[in-house]
Amino acid sequence: MVARVIGILAVCAWCAALGIGCSALDTSPKPATQALPPLPGQATGVLTTAHESFGAAVNDFFARRPEPVQPIEFPHNTHVSQGLTCTEYCHESVTKGPVAGLPSVKTCMICHEAIATDRPRIQQITALRDKGLDLNWQRVYGYPAQSHVKFNHAPHVRANVDCATCHGNIGGGTVAQVNVKLSMGFCVNCHNEKKAPVDCLTCHF
Amino acid sequence: MAVDLDSCTGCGACVTACHAENNISTVGAEQAAIGRAKHWIRVERYWEGDFPDVRLKFRPVMCQQCDAAPCEPVCPTYASHHTEEGLNAQVYNRCIGTRYCANACPYNVRFFDFFNPSWDKPLHLQLNPDVSLREVGVMEKCTFCVQRIKSAKTQAQAEDRELKDGEIQPACVQSCPPKALVFGDLNDPESQVSRLSRSTRGSTLLEDIGTRPKVNYLARQTQL
Repeated sequence: MVARVIGILAVCAWCAALGIGCSALDTSPKPATQALPPLPGQATGVLTTAHESFGAAVNDFFARRPEPVQPIEFPHNTHVSQGLTCTEYCHESVTKGPVAGLPSVKTCMICHEAIATDRPRIQQITALRDKGLDLNWQRVYGYPAQSHVKFNHAPHVRANVDCATCHGNIGGGTVAQVNVKLSMGFCVNCHNEKKAPVDCLTCHF
Repeated sequence: MAVDLDSCTGCGACVTACHAENNISTVGAEQAAIGRAKHWIRVERYWEGDFPDVRLKFRPVMCQQCDAAPCEPVCPTYASHHTEEGLNAQVYNRCIGTRYCANACPYNVRFFDFFNPSWDKPLHLQLNPDVSLREVGVMEKCTFCVQRIKSAKTQAQAEDRELKDGEIQPACVQSCPPKALVFGDLNDPESQVSRLSRSTRGSTLLEDIGTRPKVNYLARQTQL
């Protein structure tokens, strides 16, 4: 670990000497206008083919991802302890296609029209629904674009892979968090165990 | 795949469909002029005869998915490799951009990403979510729309049935107005593509170099 930190510091010193910036350690104030994506012929500032910036590479090395901030602190444990399953209402696309889906406020109101209407948070979402607005849920799990992974939930659900295998015990906590690091080794181990294909084109295309 | 050159009118619908389906970025006129344009499928034009007695012939050319692909042994990272189904796969994660494969390919159907993909707004909103965006420094080429092959298989599996012949349609096949392009399983002797490939009109590109391409071209019989 110490050697790793020293290594990173050495790389940082080298970058600073060459004038290469990186988003992980950049403390200077950001310009008000966001830079547009590079046009053809323009320098991209890409350091490696696998990461869009040096900072992204460093973040990936330490398995750091920006924390998603949810619009409300959704208590998964309360709902699961009431006997609601993950795929029943809230993530029901999971059996049909690639994306599990995040429920709209209308889905909440199927039950909460009648249940726990005295709680402030429920009144909050009722007000949202009445205004025709929706909850801006943030995805917690996902693959970075440069990993070229195309994941499909449906075949995994059909193969009776439990949600908890990849998502950990989300039903035991409140706000969803990344409990399992979905590395390629994690996927391939399970594919090997279950005799599922491990060809590159199974996931990467 | 089989291509019936009798039916091909050279309309270019396959090229457009391929660009839309596979998120193939454009590089601008200046870069295209120095050979950096990317077209996973192109329509080649051949003029025959002298004016006024000229004839025009077309030939759509995409990755030939060779059985003995020259691009595969030259790749130092196995980014270009053969799958069990016989597809010539390109794994972007492994590719380090040596471009040996493009040098080795006799059909000029491999393309290098000289730039990160970008589109003029609002075209960036029309990208296909089933296909990944290739970043600067990797090679890309026709995949026979592997995402469609995958999704058709998953669908068949979900419905607990075998894949039907003609169920999988790459974007070029689907968009071809005269149905000149036919896609299917060459291992199944009864499939339409197998029957067409056995035709006496059939030939493959640059047969004598021994790459054993999996795209069969059916020669023209009619004269325009």
